[in-house]
Amino acid sequence: MADSAYALRASAASPWRRALLAGGVALVLLAVCSVVLPTFLVNNLIRAFLYAAVALTVDLLWGYTGILTFGQSAFFGIGAYAAGLIFTHAGFSLPLAAGALVAGIGAAWLVSRAVGWLAFYHGASPLYASVVTLVLPIVLVQGIYSGGEFTGSSSGLSGFDSFDIPLEAWFFIAGAFLICLAVTAWMFVRSDAGRLLVAIRENEARCEYLGIDVSRYKARLMDTCAVIAAFAGFLFACVQMVVAPEYAGFVFGTELVIWVALGGRGSLIGPIAGTMLIDVGSAYLSGNLPYVWTLLVGVAFVVVIVAMPRGLAPVVAIGARRALPRRRRADAEPVVFAVAKAREHGGAEEARPALSIRGVQKHFGSLKVLDGISFDARAGELLSLIGPNGAGKSTLMRCIADGAERSAGSVEIGGTDIRTLAPYDCVALGIGRKFQTATVFESLTVAEALRIARHRVAPPSKWQRSPVLELPQPALDVLRLTGLDRMPGRECRYLSHGQKQALELAMVLALEPRTVLLDEPTAGLTKQERTQIGEIFVALSSRYRMCLLLVEHDLEFVQQISSRIIVLHQGRIVMDGGVDEVVNSELVRSVYAGESHAAAGTQEEGRA
Amino acid sequence: MLNLGLDVATTAAILFIVSAGLLMVFGVMKIINFSHGAFLTVGGYASVIVAHLGLAWWWGVPFALAIGFVLGIAVERFIVRPLYARPLDAILATWGLGIIVGQIVTLIFGRGVQMVASPVEGAIPLFGVQYSAYRLILIGVALVIALALGWLLNGTRLGLQTRAVIMNEALARGLGISSSRVRFMTFCTGAALASAAGCLITPLASVDPNMGVPWIVGAFMLVLVSGSSLLSLAVASIVLGGAQVLVSTFVNPVLGGLTIAVLAALLLRFRPEGFARG
Repeated sequence: MADSAYALRASAASPWRRALLAGGVALVLLAVCSVVLPTFLVNNLIRAFLYAAVALTVDLLWGYTGILTFGQSAFFGIGAYAAGLIFTHAGFSLPLAAGALVAGIGAAWLVSRAVGWLAFYHGASPLYASVVTLVLPIVLVQGIYSGGEFTGSSSGLSGFDSFDIPLEAWFFIAGAFLICLAVTAWMFVRSDAGRLLVAIRENEARCEYLGIDVSRYKARLMDTCAVIAAFAGFLFACVQMVVAPEYAGFVFGTELVIWVALGGRGSLIGPIAGTMLIDVGSAYLSGNLPYVWTLLVGVAFVVVIVAMPRGLAPVVAIGARRALPRRRRADAEPVVFAVAKAREHGGAEEARPALSIRGVQKHFGSLKVLDGISFDARAGELLSLIGPNGAGKSTLMRCIADGAERSAGSVEIGGTDIRTLAPYDCVALGIGRKFQTATVFESLTVAEALRIARHRVAPPSKWQRSPVLELPQPALDVLRLTGLDRMPGRECRYLSHGQKQALELAMVLALEPRTVLLDEPTAGLTKQERTQIGEIFVALSSRYRMCLLLVEHDLEFVQQISSRIIVLHQGRIVMDGGVDEVVNSELVRSVYAGESHAAAGTQEEGRA
Repeated sequence: MLNLGLDVATTAAILFIVSAGLLMVFGVMKIINFSHGAFLTVGGYASVIVAHLGLAWWWGVPFALAIGFVLGIAVERFIVRPLYARPLDAILATWGLGIIVGQIVTLIFGRGVQMVASPVEGAIPLFGVQYSAYRLILIGVALVIALALGWLLNGTRLGLQTRAVIMNEALARGLGISSSRVRFMTFCTGAALASAAGCLITPLASVDPNMGVPWIVGAFMLVLVSGSSLLSLAVASIVLGGAQVLVSTFVNPVLGGLTIAVLAALLLRFRPEGFARG
């Protein structure tokens, strides 16, 4: 016991220590280099440091989160032009410089808010976000062109005064900025909160149904990255004492992406190395090999994108790991599961239905998929929805979990109307939805995936990894029954199909939902797994008083576990009643046998 | 006024010609071919080569079609095919290809601007105004391309298969249609069209190693708002091209150059299907 406690403390402290140590060494190296290196190289490295800082933001946006952006150059340009314009037209002084910095960052932030509003909304395609970031630098550069003498048009601004400090000092400032940024970013992406970036890249829909407002998160990330790029641009203008439209343009934006791709997206260190090597390399080689150098970079870029999508960083890392003596892998830090304290919910909630559906319709054009669906479901009920393929079962599930889906009617979750709320807001009302196919985050570990699911209830730390993960009892029960609690460090991609299904269920339960939507949760499971999961469902409804809504094809399974059954046929409820009543009815037999609709029709009329 | 109308019509025709190849590729393969600009450049230089050989300008069109098709074969096989499952990466790889083509062209022909003599000179009188003869011809060319593509898609077996792949690729494959063959033919056709378009615009624009780049963003935006329909592309070219002409004439040319990109981006925000039926 004492051993494991020690291990926990060590693992929690080590990321800080390692990052700060590496940062400290880099700073010392930087100071030495500023004295030792030749002026030409120092000059080029200053520029490369600042470019690398912007490339780092591209890596955060694209490499980690999957937002392909061509627009970081625009924010760099905004920061640079803020300094250039103020120093040219108002002169240089310390207060003015501070003003220019604030103006540049403020402008970048405002532009980023506008871009975020355009590019990130529930249901936006990833391509559209790229389009917006592509249009941004084009618009900005045309704006600079039409600014005439004020913006210096196509030749830019030069010859303004700036800080009077030596090149070596700039070298240190730019390098220190990059190092601080890299260390901060490194700690963030490896923290519990930072794993969300990867989760969004891998499966945005799953994140939204785990109660996370992905669009908002992406927009905030872009704001942060815009501010960083603008700061780099400000430093650039101060050092170089020249600003030009190219630094804000779309071609520079694509170059940043190229550097990140070559270095290795999603690795932080790769994009920094890639940017510095190519930019400094260009400075030395493009004089001798004017077009061949660009040609070589282009060829390398295409080859890397096609053949090595992760870039050169993993190749180097694997080589280094082979060359260096064997070390304990840092990633293998164990995570211990613990019971989270149950949240309070008054007994009064039991009185009203957990789910109340009134006259829900869904149509695609003239095709009616759902028509006049109304029913209530209460806490403690295990309600199964059955019906042949195309009856509208999965569509109904979607209409309950996403307010924008249905065409008419109302859905109340726990007494609150969902109006047109997005999935993450529906989760906040107490609904959890498990998808038809097991949907997990392939490159996250079991514990990381579960922590993503806890994001809404218990926001994790932005700077470190917690060795303990608190989960509600039902989620722990699922993990324990399926043996997943013994493999918190296993990556989801290595799980079996049944384990993935169980993990997704545990993730949904980690949301502490009052109502759970389960779309064919037993599809593709073995008989043993099926029995196991059936027992879990019964426990969820009877012991934990949840309301379960289950879509199933297997009548026998439904019969064993349900407390009530609703039969859907051609978008309508044709039967709603107790298990025996439904299973033994002629109607169900005829619907499942695909017999005449007339039979169903007469039955329905008879009931009415 | 009439002049303005002709400007709108000819601008729309040019935009349609330049974007048609990109639309083919996007419609069928759902990937954005950013090397479209490079193919335009290749077509432009095809007319330069034809001029060097002393042939009449018109020879440039079939020559550009052929070069574009052959290059398309290689690009599809080695760059586009491995990236079907990664559409965002396909954008990047084809953009990288654009860089490569630009540099190779520079190494062979030099950086300078090449001039190509226009096949038809001067202006012709039309409804009482003088208007550039070549721009008027391009309206006819756009119609020919539209009809030819329409016939290819609606009148041939390959076209039928192509439409099947556009509508539902999984089902089409299930019915025994080789979707990889359809994709291959589509990409090569798209590349050939782009190359021919590059040749066709040479009398209006200068030929230089980066001549395709200014066109690519406009074409890209037009295709995004058109989905996979030639008819939508025609509508988008007229509406957005018309807006571009109006803004350039009455507001200022710089803003005119932004019209298509900005309007298309805003349109997609509020109506993601753009001009396509949705």
